[in-house]
Amino acid sequence: MKRRDMLMGAATGAAGMALLAAVSEKAQAQAPAGAPAGGGSLDRIIKDKKIRITAEVTSPPFGILDKSNQPDGSEIATSRQLAKDLGVELELVQVTSPQRIPALLAGRADVAISSLSITFDRAKTVAFAPPHGALSIVIAGPKKTNIKSATDMAGKKIGLTRATLEEATVPGIAPAGTNIVYFDDIAATLQAMISGQVDAAGMSAFAAKSVGDRNPRAEIENKFTVRTAYYGAAVRPNDYELLQFLRTWVFLNKHNGVLADIYRKYTEVALVELPAM
Amino acid sequence: MSYVFQFGIVWDHLPRLLAGAWLTLRLSFGAFAIGLALALVLAYARTAGPKPLRAAIAAYVEVIRNTPFLVQLFIIYFSLPEIGLRFDAVTAALIGMSLNFSGYATEILRAGIESVPRSQIEAGYCLGLPRVSIYRHVIAWPALRAVYPALASQFVLLMLGSSIVAAISVEELTGIINTLQSTTFRAFEFYFVATGMYLAMALGARLLLDAVYWTLFVRGRPVERAWAR
Repeated sequence: MKRRDMLMGAATGAAGMALLAAVSEKAQAQAPAGAPAGGGSLDRIIKDKKIRITAEVTSPPFGILDKSNQPDGSEIATSRQLAKDLGVELELVQVTSPQRIPALLAGRADVAISSLSITFDRAKTVAFAPPHGALSIVIAGPKKTNIKSATDMAGKKIGLTRATLEEATVPGIAPAGTNIVYFDDIAATLQAMISGQVDAAGMSAFAAKSVGDRNPRAEIENKFTVRTAYYGAAVRPNDYELLQFLRTWVFLNKHNGVLADIYRKYTEVALVELPAM
Repeated sequence: MSYVFQFGIVWDHLPRLLAGAWLTLRLSFGAFAIGLALALVLAYARTAGPKPLRAAIAAYVEVIRNTPFLVQLFIIYFSLPEIGLRFDAVTAALIGMSLNFSGYATEILRAGIESVPRSQIEAGYCLGLPRVSIYRHVIAWPALRAVYPALASQFVLLMLGSSIVAAISVEELTGIINTLQSTTFRAFEFYFVATGMYLAMALGARLLLDAVYWTLFVRGRPVERAWAR
């Protein structure tokens, strides 16, 4: 803990903030039983016979709620497979898209398996296992929106979901004059696109397919592909044993075809060749 | 846990944070003014209007007060476009906050109006004042004074509740904070700073509203001054 940093930070805000920071520091000194001190999660998972994994259920086909309101989707199935291979019970920690990394860092979950794309920015905060899936980011919108390439986004209102790969990639390719607006979850972004509050939106190709299939009247189509990315499980940065287990786990399940089966079952497309990491 | 706080990044984004806080303040005071004006009319009609109107306003107040603010916002922002009423996010937020505040303020003002003694109103009639003047001078003003502290509390709730409008892509303080924390991953730092800024705005608003109370209801009125001590 850098005390000087903290004091400087405290000086930036009201007295109440300094108080909060001090309280949080105290809280860290006596971390609750549920939040392990950084590393060593693997031992605890095996000892307690329980693994806690993030579950984000608003991004089809990775995470959804099924007809009986239970979490389902390719990432939930992947989490179940991981718990099964470890021989432990699975506890799904429900999170929103922007909470995926904070929930992991705060110790609420041991692993984040919620279609987290592997990026430099994220790699500075969490440790990634090798990818177990891939997705394309597209700009999708109603037929009447005239967008064929990135330059056509100028003057258009483009919806993005916070803390997603589209938020990390679309602003970089958007020309000057693009009006980008942010929503907290993919459901809101999709709703904004269907109700015409935005001209188009950035999302995964699967989300675009799913929303298009469910709303034929809206005439949603893919405008162009922004990027293809790989996603993987993430753990806290100093959780080496758990990370090493995940490396082995991805290798084995890639080899025996389990990952490809899960992917095809939920996305209805074949899994591309996953690069090594 | 060994989390290292890095508040330097907050400084880098200070202009955006301040812009967000400014929008929060504008939305809150705008909704307060519109909502209160609406509530004054509604509270009058609620207590003195014809019976069907009173029932309609009572229903409005109950619907507003017994449904989630987020759902009200979604209806304005996502559902009204289906029937051709399209508002941009900030306008939708202002409408939502104003209507929401008007529901609570109507009920608060009604309580104030009912606290005005009958004899005081009868005195107004005896002086031959027109009905509207009686409402304005004899009922509304004392009622407003009686319920002012409750209205001030409601305003603070309105301002803190404004964080919800980030859900429909309004870039007020919470919206900015959510975007910044999701791109920098310094969630704790930004949330701490947001907490401090909301606290400062709420306390500042309290002071301002107290000053308004003093100016409107206490200053230059010896009797009230004595009570205020």
